Amino acid sequence: MKENYRLIESKELDETLHQYSFYPGLNLYVLPRQGYQKKYAVYSTRFGSIDNRFRVEPENEITELPDGVAHFLEHKLFEDERGNVFDRFAALGASPNAFTSFTQTSYLFSCTSNFEQSLNHLLDFVQEPYFTEQTVQKEQGIIGQEIQMYQDHPHWRVFFNLLEGLYQQHPVRNDIAGTAESIAQITPDLLYRCYKTFYHPSNMALFVIGDLNPDQVARQVEDNIAGRNYQALGEIVRFFPEEPAEINRKCSEQELVVSEPIMFLGFKDPVVDKLQGRDLMRREILMELILDIIFGSSEQFYNDLYRDNLIDENFGAEYTAEINYGYTMIGGETRDPEKLCERIMNEISEIRNTGIRAEQYERHRRKILGGYIRRFNSLEFIANNFLAYHFRGTELFELPSILHEIKLEDAVNLLEENLNPALHTVSLIKPPEEEV
Amino acid sequence: MQAIYTEHYLPNGIRLLFIPTDKFKTISMGFFLHQELRGDLAALNSLLPAVLEQGCRLYPDKLTLQRKLDNLYGADLGSDIIKSGERHVQAFMFESAHDKYLGENGQLLNEGMSVLGSVVGDPLISEDRFREDYVKQEKLQLIKDIKALLNDKATYAYERCISLMCSEERFGTYKLGWMEDYDRIDAEGLYRYYQDVFFNNPLDLYVIGDLEENQVLETAGRAFNFSRNSASKTLSLTEVSRSVEQVRYHEEEMSVNQAKMVLGFRTHTAYQDDQYCPLLVYSGILGAFPHSKLFMKVREEAGLAYYVFSRLEKHKGLMIIAAGIDYADQQKAQEIIGCQMEDMAAGRISDTELDNTRHGLINRIRSQQDSPGQLINSHLDGAISGRTYSAGELIKRIEAVDRKDIQAVAEKIELDTVYLLKPRKGGK
Repeated sequence: MKENYRLIESKELDETLHQYSFYPGLNLYVLPRQGYQKKYAVYSTRFGSIDNRFRVEPENEITELPDGVAHFLEHKLFEDERGNVFDRFAALGASPNAFTSFTQTSYLFSCTSNFEQSLNHLLDFVQEPYFTEQTVQKEQGIIGQEIQMYQDHPHWRVFFNLLEGLYQQHPVRNDIAGTAESIAQITPDLLYRCYKTFYHPSNMALFVIGDLNPDQVARQVEDNIAGRNYQALGEIVRFFPEEPAEINRKCSEQELVVSEPIMFLGFKDPVVDKLQGRDLMRREILMELILDIIFGSSEQFYNDLYRDNLIDENFGAEYTAEINYGYTMIGGETRDPEKLCERIMNEISEIRNTGIRAEQYERHRRKILGGYIRRFNSLEFIANNFLAYHFRGTELFELPSILHEIKLEDAVNLLEENLNPALHTVSLIKPPEEEV
Repeated sequence: MQAIYTEHYLPNGIRLLFIPTDKFKTISMGFFLHQELRGDLAALNSLLPAVLEQGCRLYPDKLTLQRKLDNLYGADLGSDIIKSGERHVQAFMFESAHDKYLGENGQLLNEGMSVLGSVVGDPLISEDRFREDYVKQEKLQLIKDIKALLNDKATYAYERCISLMCSEERFGTYKLGWMEDYDRIDAEGLYRYYQDVFFNNPLDLYVIGDLEENQVLETAGRAFNFSRNSASKTLSLTEVSRSVEQVRYHEEEMSVNQAKMVLGFRTHTAYQDDQYCPLLVYSGILGAFPHSKLFMKVREEAGLAYYVFSRLEKHKGLMIIAAGIDYADQQKAQEIIGCQMEDMAAGRISDTELDNTRHGLINRIRSQQDSPGQLINSHLDGAISGRTYSAGELIKRIEAVDRKDIQAVAEKIELDTVYLLKPRKGGK
């Protein structure tokens, strides 16, 4: 076993991570954290809502999915021939959960006792699918309610309207849970087909963290996987539509019951799909720096907007970088969306002229480093983010060294490239006129 | 493995609770001012921390203050207002990375405490008042926040149910108070209020991290040296025993897709009562977990809801059940919920349900030990209720709960208010 083993050390954080890999391609990470009562494990597959067209080498047949399959599958794995999975964790006092994003599906539990059994439950239920006509039908009702709930959620709607405004073709523009119509097309057969492809261990990774002995965890995982007769799986080929560089539309508006308008500006990143791994993370860190320098609460611009009563404390800007899409969103609740939008656009062109001061750059760099260290209090943060970066081909522990090597000029260059006024959209939620 | 607190009093009567531990990467501090929850004080109480956070004598505006915090490696300083039973607590939280990961040698405790101490104890005052523009600005923001409750329909429905149910009790006050009360507050009156409460009301300071006790005490003594009445005043406790005369029904229409149903119950049992742990187990079996009856019956079997839960307002002795459903299913959902509660009262609880719930609750209590924020919150519960349980004691009590205890709790639970937020007819 030891030949497929590696130690990853982070001097900055005083952490030592143990990585193992097992046939047929599963990666396991164990991070011992002494003194913690809680133990946490997350088992993820690189299968999210955007993975809706694929084939597996050497087959030629391409499978196309209706929207919402990855999320639907996540719900359905919690039920098997033995009944409800929640009960089995509950008997151990462990707390299970799961979530589906654009790019991955994750199953997890936390516990303060019975760790070994809980970990086996996690590995078992994720590796033992059970889908029937009847259970699929019942889930359509539950997820139908989930979709309805999100339709009433203004911050969720403003987000997806923004993505729809940015993207013409890419499936990131579609709701993760799909629609009532799309999930009505889901069948047990379809779920099994996705399962066999994306839930193969070579497409998955497991992260375990807590006061644990790494080798012991590794043996347990290896034993669990070994008994399941996995065959090697061919490469999964994912197909994404050709996405034009241009945005889809300039403005999206929706009426919902809200106390005041919610407005976000979105910028499409035209370069991100050429990057992955460490380069992608580097871009992400640089963008975090730039956005904090322009829009952060320790800068004049934020304080002016706040004083002019155009924003509240939740105003913010963030950048997302995935392997084949990337975007920036800036905004929040505001009494005057037009004016806020104009001020933001002006500020972006202003900073292109004035540039970034060395003092600003250093101050925000420190802030990012401190924020990173602080987040390492949370076992969930470490595990979930480690796997997200793993699937993008890099490691969470790289952050301090990237932060150390980037330069002010890199940030200035990215500013030119990534906040291009020609590639921006506006998403607006406003209250209906007749109501409060 | 439980967190060990040491308790101290600063010369001016501030209580300091220190938890030395090397398991976190941070230095965490919480400063809390206790006040009674009262309709006439709620707006003042919410506005005060918001104004203090805008700037103090040493860092006179938000920009200067935030830059100071950025230079402390992005330390976070934020204020909040907590409604806990009929207690209204102003909270100021500070967190920074620990020096040892930054090569900064002990400066972050000093600097952090000095910033926190300045913000709460050395405000920006001229002519016996706070800055007029800060007060005006924060009044606007808080009124916006009150209105913004509408934006999250589930929370809106939950709060509406509570305020209707407790309209004649202090607990019915929304944590940010009423909008019209803000009109009556000015910079001078707010400063008088500040002087009064910081002088007389109980103040708690929590410090958690890999730190030396002597250094913490010394630093705190310097940073929080404002003068005050060292014998803090005693605050009244939460009223728990109000009885239900008649179940009240409220419906509200809105342009939404999903109906939100919220049921408010009186349990006549609060945190400090011996029956609190049986009540915790009761609500756990009924609806606090994915293995609970409500989740299994309403969601997993009937497929009526995505979310359905029961939750305790532990200091007030209320239990709230909430679900997001199709309006057409409202009767059906309420019937299923009713059946589950009958089963609870009749003791129709399987060994598995009982065991699973005990384990789940114990897991939650143990997990609290791994978060500085949760360590503080669980200790605050003791300060608010007048009864402190150690984690170990809570666990023992939960383990001892049996069916009879649960039935005894169930007998006392009364439905008080049914609130329904329903979609407006004629579509969205």
